[in-house]
Parts: sequence; C-alpha cells; structure tokens
Amino acid sequence: MKEFLENLKLKDWKVHLWCLGILVVSELIGTMVFTIKLSGSESAGISFSLFPMLYAIVIGIILASMKKIPKQVMDTASPYVGLSCMLLITKMSSSIGPAWGDIVKAGPALILQEFGNLGTIVFALPVAVLVFKMGREAVGASFSISREPSLAIIADKYGLDSPEGSGIMGAYITGTVLGTVFNGIMASLLVAANIFHPYALAMACGTGSSSMMAAALAPIVEAFPDMAETLNAYAAASQTLSSADGLYMSLLLGIPFTNWLYKVLKGKKAAKAEQGGAN
Amino acid sequence: MEKVKKPIFEGKVWAERIKVTIISAILAALANMIYTWRLPNLEMVSFFEALPGVGIMVGIVFVSYLLYDLLKGVLPFQVPSILFVAIITTLLSFEGICGGFATYMIDNFNKIQLLPLCTPILSYAAISVGRDLDTFKKQGFAIICVALITFFGTYIGSTIIAEVVLRISGVI
Repeated sequence: MKEFLENLKLKDWKVHLWCLGILVVSELIGTMVFTIKLSGSESAGISFSLFPMLYAIVIGIILASMKKIPKQVMDTASPYVGLSCMLLITKMSSSIGPAWGDIVKAGPALILQEFGNLGTIVFALPVAVLVFKMGREAVGASFSISREPSLAIIADKYGLDSPEGSGIMGAYITGTVLGTVFNGIMASLLVAANIFHPYALAMACGTGSSSMMAAALAPIVEAFPDMAETLNAYAAASQTLSSADGLYMSLLLGIPFTNWLYKVLKGKKAAKAEQGGAN
Repeated sequence: MEKVKKPIFEGKVWAERIKVTIISAILAALANMIYTWRLPNLEMVSFFEALPGVGIMVGIVFVSYLLYDLLKGVLPFQVPSILFVAIITTLLSFEGICGGFATYMIDNFNKIQLLPLCTPILSYAAISVGRDLDTFKKQGFAIICVALITFFGTYIGSTIIAEVVLRISGVI
C-alpha cells in the first residue's frame, strides 16, 4: 500500500508534460491529405493522408536526435505506451455490439483471414534469405510482425542473445519507429488502388498491434465514412481474434513453417551445417 | 531462504496503471477537442463533453485489470489484459445484454473520434523512441526492409483471404 501511494505521486510529471506538448503540436498540425496526380491518366490519382499520430513519432525522433529528452524520461515513458493503448481498445470493441449482425454474416471471412497473418513468412523470409543473405536472424525477424508476444516467444524458445533473438529485436525496433507510418501509408495506397473491398481491408487491420491497426484503419474509415461503424467493428473483431489466437498461431504454425521454409530456401546442406555449427 | 510470494495486487503496477490511464484519458479528450475543431466537417466536441465517454473507458480498463490480476494464477493459460478489455467492452455494447447503458455508452463513445485516441499512445511512444534509435542504426538496412515486408505480408495476406471469403459467402 505504501509502495502504491508512493508511486501514485506525479514524480514522472516530466514524461506527461512532454507527452502533452507533443500531442498538442501534432493535433494542431492536423490531418493532411496528399494527392499524387498521375500524368496522362484520367483517374483522380492516388491520395493518402498523414495523421497527427504520425507527426508525434516524427517529433519524437527529431527530439531524440537533438538529444533533448533525458534518458530517464525515455525509460519511464516506455511502459506507458502499452498502458495507454487500453482506451483505444474500448472504443474499438464498443462497435462490435451494434454491428453484430454484420459480424456474424462475415464470420467465416473474419476467422479465415486470421491465417493471413502467416503471409508475413511467405513474403519476408525469401527476401531475408535470398536477397539479404541473412542467417538464422531471418527466422526471428520474419515469422511474425515482431510485437511483444512474438518477443516473448523467441525469448522463451531461442533466447534473445541468439541469432533469432537479434533478428526479432531489430524488427521490433523497426516496428516501433516506422510501423505506424508504414501501415498508414500502405493502407492509404491500397485504398487508392481500389482493388480490395473496404471490408476486407478493415478486417486485415487487426494484426495484433493496436497502434498499427489504428494507423492502417484510419485512412480506410476516412475514405469510406458511411461505412465507419462496420469498418470499425470488423477491425475490432479481427484485432480481438488476433490477440487471442496470435500467440498460439505463431507457436504452433508460424515458427515451424518458418523453420521449414528456411531450410528449403537455404538448401538442406547449408542449413544443417549451420545447425551443427551452433551446437 | 524462503521464496517471497508476489502479492496479487502489486502497488507499483497499480499506481502506474491508474496514473497513466487517467492521464491518457484526459489527453485523449483534449486531442479530441483539437481534432474535431480542426476538421471542417465535424462539430467541435469540447473537453467536458468528452468526459463521460473517457470516464466509462477508464472504468472498463480498471475492471479489466482487476479481473486480470485475480485470474492470473487461476487460469491454466495466459490471457493478455487487452483481451479482458475487449471482451468486457464488447459485452457492454450489446443492447440485448446491457439495455440502456449500451446506448448511453455508445452515444458517449461516438463523441470521441478514433484518431485522437491514438495520439496519446504515439506521443508516449515518441518520447521513448530515442532509446531504441542507436540499436536501430546498427542493425542496418536489411532488417528494416525485412520488418517492413512482414507488415506488408501480414496485411496483404489477411486482405486477400478476407476478400475471397467475403465474395464466396456473398457478403460483398
């Protein structure tokens, strides 16, 4: 109880003050819409939006490279990221009840698209192994989108000091720094490309990372405001499924499949020699 | 030496939970005000108008943490606290289950836009991002590319399956 009261004091007021400053500046800049006109084409061109949350990260990177934020403030702020995600989850999940009819109709799609989260392996592992000639680091970096649950899996199975561990750490940091920016722009471009139905795009947003989901969902809702409620509900349902099944999906399907594909790509001999070297 | 058993409710953990959740809620209400003020097609939602909505959110989050702590040692498998938040809010959002409260909650949540709820998260992330910057530079270009491809692969994989199944089942 004493510990509780001691920690409840706002001794970390600096962190929250920085946060307030970054938030206000980012919101004041506001959403910016960019349209790229393709010369010679008759269509409206590709448009994508930049959102306040993306400016926040950019401001953070600028402040950090100017060494403006003390190390201690950074360390304190780190666990607060996960804690502040919870409010967003309530907003997202509250759309499930009103849209229940739609969700039941889309049930099979919602459940099956969860397996799409394994798509990361098919795309990323060949590039890592064949283009960048990475070793076992490739397995750590490619089997998932490298968020906290995946870190826990790798730490448990291989240890974070292993090659697999250093692979996932690199990918984890990339995700923290660039994940939201990349997802926001990627979703904007896919909306502009007009190949997929917004329902399918919204379902795919639930990948297990709240901030990336929000970043990917924002441009879709922005482009189809009439469908906002349903799009929110699909993303939330998919996100809830992912956070429930993600760990088991990675453990039972993701890692075994990645290891198998890694052997195929490296050739049996090379993979065996590596394993022999490791032991 | 006797093993010290961790208490179910840890003081430091709870202090951080309460502090950060309430401050994030205040920040979200503020962000929401600026966001709705900046957008021409939305009417501005004042800070105080947003308070009932964020208040309910904070309440749900606290109840979820409570359940999470109580069930931590009891359940045979690990359940992330985020899942408790999702399940409780989902149940509350059904009019058939919660009647008038569901309507009240959704009306108040609707005053708060999705994007301003993300800005506090990313602002905290922005503060701590510098910690990882040096490690990040050392890792090099390859790992950045591979990580970005994993995001793309996950997203496009799920989109394609969803699109195909939605078409087959006649939803779209």
